[in-house]
Amino acid sequence: MKVLVVEDEVLIAMDIETLLIEHGHLVLGPACSIVDALHLLDAECPDVALLDFNIHDQPVTPVAERLRDLGVPFILTSAYDAKELRKYDALTEAQFVKKPFDDHDLLRALARAGP
Amino acid sequence: MDLDDLYRLLRGAHVQAQGIVDTVRDPLLVMDEDLCILSANPAFYRTFATGRDDSLGKRFEQLGDGQWQIAELQFLLEKVIPKSSAILDYEVTAEFPKIGPRTMLVSAQRLVHPEDGRRLLLLSIVDATEQRGKDNEKDLLIGEVRHRVKNLLAVTRALAKQTSVAGRTAEQYRDTFLGRFGALARALEVTIDRSSSDLPDLAKAVLEPYAGDGQTIKIDNAPVVPLQARQAMSLGMILHELATNALKYGALSAQGGQVALSWTTGKEQDGLEQVHMQWTESGGPAPVSPSQKGFGTRLIRSAAERELGGKVDLEFRPGGLVVSQSFPLRAQ
Repeated sequence: MKVLVVEDEVLIAMDIETLLIEHGHLVLGPACSIVDALHLLDAECPDVALLDFNIHDQPVTPVAERLRDLGVPFILTSAYDAKELRKYDALTEAQFVKKPFDDHDLLRALARAGP
Repeated sequence: MDLDDLYRLLRGAHVQAQGIVDTVRDPLLVMDEDLCILSANPAFYRTFATGRDDSLGKRFEQLGDGQWQIAELQFLLEKVIPKSSAILDYEVTAEFPKIGPRTMLVSAQRLVHPEDGRRLLLLSIVDATEQRGKDNEKDLLIGEVRHRVKNLLAVTRALAKQTSVAGRTAEQYRDTFLGRFGALARALEVTIDRSSSDLPDLAKAVLEPYAGDGQTIKIDNAPVVPLQARQAMSLGMILHELATNALKYGALSAQGGQVALSWTTGKEQDGLEQVHMQWTESGGPAPVSPSQKGFGTRLIRSAAERELGGKVDLEFRPGGLVVSQSFPLRAQ
């Protein structure tokens, strides 16, 4: 699958990238900012997206809204509680993976979200 | 003094009680059975920036301009006198005339008039706005700290996983991991001291374990550059990777080898302030271009290009590695 990764922590982004490549996925990004993520989406449409909820102290909602319009399922990751995320309309439907997560949590969520 | 004491005082010696009521710092109202205001203490007039004419003789819900018209509170107040029930800290948050948005805690209890036995209602109002503001700030802060701690655990976990075990003994793995973890901790330490941190402090803190007597890594031309916490963490990790690489394979692996670190700032054509940083190794063995997939190279590229939003160039010159990077200064 082609997976868009939006994550502003460099080390976590690198880790997710490694994991996804190891499991035969194609990584779009990782994007470190909302602007970068939107730019990537202008050029390419992923099968699924993995979004960190908080990108440089901003909610990732602009990216979530674009993905919703594109019909791309996405998974949210965050060290915040799920209830914090549910305040945003665009995020209510998405799967949530709590940080810190292990590889299985992430791969399982991807398998559920994927086409 | 609680309301019970006040009640006793009012029964026994109402003249003295008047003086006491007047000095109570929270607003107090005495109302009759129809919730008409019979008297108010100075704190009431002060808190609500109002006077006797606008208060006495009015019904409670007519005070202000509608903030007290709350069906539930009305219902509770109406039960205080006949049922001798009490109201404790009923919260009213509203925009009050002249004094603005406030959170008030209303308490009420029945009183019996010492002379004619009339049943009255004593109502106290505590302005809890400031306290609520502090509580909210505290809750926000605790939430933020919880988030940061969990995030830091996630980062540490990623660091442990990204530090490769291939070709390393357990001891080497541990030392490599702890070296990186230490750099992260040092960068964090610098950023925790203040909300923003300065580049010289960060570079000194991260490179201190490698700087030896101050001759091996020289920090020249180092103007103060304010950094955001995130930028500091990224730069700290980059500098650490460069230093460990220099120690293992580069200039610092040889006797007499040196690293010069310097940076300048300047405005670009787009008007954004940019930081240009140069890491220059000399006096060591001729460098070999490392694996593009190695942790150090990946981290340096990711952090410099994605996180810092800048550019980085690694040149393996015969005289030693030269790393030039530039990134925009972000608003503080």
